[in-house]
Amino acid sequence: MARIKDIISPFTAWKNVVKEPVTIKEPLKREAAPRYRGFHKNDVDTCIGCGTCESICQNAAIDMVPVEGIETKNGDSGLRPRIDYGRCCWCALCVDVCTTGSLSMSNHFKWVDSDPDVFRFIPGVDKKEWDNEPNGYKKPGPNYELYSKERVHMPELKPEERDKSFIEIVRGYSKEQAMKEADRCVECGICVATCPAHMGIPEYIKAIRNEDLNEGLRILYDTNPLPEVCGRICTHKCETVCSVGHQGDPLSIRWLKRYIADQNPAENYKKILETENITKNGKRIAIVGSGPAGLSAAHYLALMGYECTIYEKLPLPGGMMRYGIPEYRLPYEALDKDIDYIKSLGVEIICNVTVGKDITLDELHQQYDAVFVGTGLHVGRSTRIPGTDHPNVYQAVDLLREVTMGKEIPATQSIVVIGGGNVAMDITRTLARIQNQRYGKVNIITTSLESENEMPADREEIIEAREEGATIIPGWGPVKIEIENDKIKGLHVVKCVSVFDENRRFSPKFDENQTNFFAGDMVVESIGQGMDLSYLPESVKDNLKLDNRGRIVVNDYFQSSVNWLFVGGDIIQGPDVIHGIANGHKAAIGIDKFIKSSMKS
Amino acid sequence: MNTPLDNIRTVFPNADVWTQRQGLYHMSIPKEQLVALVTHLKEVEGYLHLVQLTAVDWIEKNLFQLTYILNNPIKKIDVMVKTFIPRDNPTMETIHHLWEQAATYQRELREMFGINFPGSPRVDKPFILEGWDDIPPYRRDFDTKKYAEETYFPRPGRETNDPKEYMKKKLYPDEI
Repeated sequence: MARIKDIISPFTAWKNVVKEPVTIKEPLKREAAPRYRGFHKNDVDTCIGCGTCESICQNAAIDMVPVEGIETKNGDSGLRPRIDYGRCCWCALCVDVCTTGSLSMSNHFKWVDSDPDVFRFIPGVDKKEWDNEPNGYKKPGPNYELYSKERVHMPELKPEERDKSFIEIVRGYSKEQAMKEADRCVECGICVATCPAHMGIPEYIKAIRNEDLNEGLRILYDTNPLPEVCGRICTHKCETVCSVGHQGDPLSIRWLKRYIADQNPAENYKKILETENITKNGKRIAIVGSGPAGLSAAHYLALMGYECTIYEKLPLPGGMMRYGIPEYRLPYEALDKDIDYIKSLGVEIICNVTVGKDITLDELHQQYDAVFVGTGLHVGRSTRIPGTDHPNVYQAVDLLREVTMGKEIPATQSIVVIGGGNVAMDITRTLARIQNQRYGKVNIITTSLESENEMPADREEIIEAREEGATIIPGWGPVKIEIENDKIKGLHVVKCVSVFDENRRFSPKFDENQTNFFAGDMVVESIGQGMDLSYLPESVKDNLKLDNRGRIVVNDYFQSSVNWLFVGGDIIQGPDVIHGIANGHKAAIGIDKFIKSSMKS
Repeated sequence: MNTPLDNIRTVFPNADVWTQRQGLYHMSIPKEQLVALVTHLKEVEGYLHLVQLTAVDWIEKNLFQLTYILNNPIKKIDVMVKTFIPRDNPTMETIHHLWEQAATYQRELREMFGINFPGSPRVDKPFILEGWDDIPPYRRDFDTKKYAEETYFPRPGRETNDPKEYMKKKLYPDEI
């Protein structure tokens, strides 16, 4: 019997002849699993060329290359990743780390060609058949991150702890917090171009990670001699382009800078920065104004051996950093730490001297080898609406200056502030504190032309002002101050529908049918500041080239058309501290070139 | 009703057992009891197929994780059995007597992570790396990038740009 079965059984295999084969007919057309990691795809419009994919690639398979039609601009290097598939091991770390989420992988893996060079291409730029196919590998959901997307929270005083006093609100990072925050940086360096001073941001953040805060301080001082100040009140444009910010919170670059400056004791600065012995070169430079531009110029000139004298009109140095920015944002000790170090380099600061009155610019020109002026914007602009000539209408900058000088400033029980910038927030919050101290309650309305989202003030300033009891009502244009029996009753406003025209030029449009009235017995204007150049003598004015808007024309080194006169700071660029610092630094280099070239000739 | 996991919990009270989803269980157990557990899973619970044996380097904790993936072809259930062994001088009992092909996985782990499986056939023979003289390359302290740079020649035509330097060149070439 067994023998018969042995003979018959092979024939049973014949039944398979009509069955569908299980082998794959055309292996080259077989599709991979949906999440297979195949050739890359890149959304080049979302990609910012940060190069983090290149940095993480363990096989050095990625190059960052320029691409025609993609422009290098703020926040985008203009480079795009090119992948060498002779090296790629398909691990997908580049996809996992991609800061913008532009990079992904298709599930295409079959490609035969006799030319090895075709296997090196720029995904998304060199078009491929899989570019628009949905399958492939993408970064898995939100719990899979190679770096934290959340910023380390900065400890701050609660509103009720701060709304009656001028003590500093932001408390600063601890070592543990700073290390954790620094760990989020991918070191791409996209931020550096956006910083007006082009600070070595990735490098100083790395110094925090390496626990080498002396090195951190040296990196800060390479480009910025006011790190305590900038670590607190910089407008931090860098953070707006941070690659990590594309899919999470941007790095807290400003607070990390402050951490480095705070942790280095003032008495060690000269040793750390190796400025204990500076050889003087015998040349003398006069600087008018001790704001960020003047101090920065003085610092870098002093390092080059110049003897610098700063003339300051007000009783103490610092300019707007002292007399504009309130103490709760920038305490005087922090400012003095930066200024005292600059003084320790031999920079002389003479206060209470007004150039143009106590000493003329011409005299400075005769006594010194070159002059730098950074006199800033200290004259408040008026809306010039009816009623602004009333004595209870003030300029924000004037009041802020008087607060710093320790004067008793007028603050009535109900105040209206006009303006939506940081100065408006500064005066609002300062007056709110004074109201709270004097009357135990805050009654202040701040109104701006700009709508909530367009207000030029920093977001946190607006939020914190509201937390402190101020009422911020954006989107209204002032029309008239209502005065009855010589007393201010309030401010009439109309709805502002748009502030800028299509070319982003200032051209407010109003809806006259929508009106409003903000009651108050005092009005503060804070719509911007102008410059006072009355100290320029006729001899200089006649030769000084101005542009069509009345601004002094300077070259790349902030040298004016009067060759011994260099100009920088808010009157040229800004207004902010970091532009002033950058201007001062460049002017210092320009002054050095100017003096060396005039020595030769 | 007793679920399959309850049986495991009863027999191996030291095992940490949980369900990820239907048809996928996880078990974690001290290394001394691992072979007993996988033997039980194969012989009693019907997990006849060894899908994979692999390792993870938890360098921060100074541990290697070993993961044995088993499959019950009748019930269509996968189970991931995990155990941790010290990273220094790592040794684990062999399971080649349960599944012959485990010897191949163990040879691979010996080569790529340096984990020894005494008694496993040919465990010390080179697996895919010929003439390797560095630390096992799947260990996280192995610097893959450095190795790649030192070992492989750069392909002609390759050039790259640092985003920060490139942006300076393009946007502010004359500034300091």
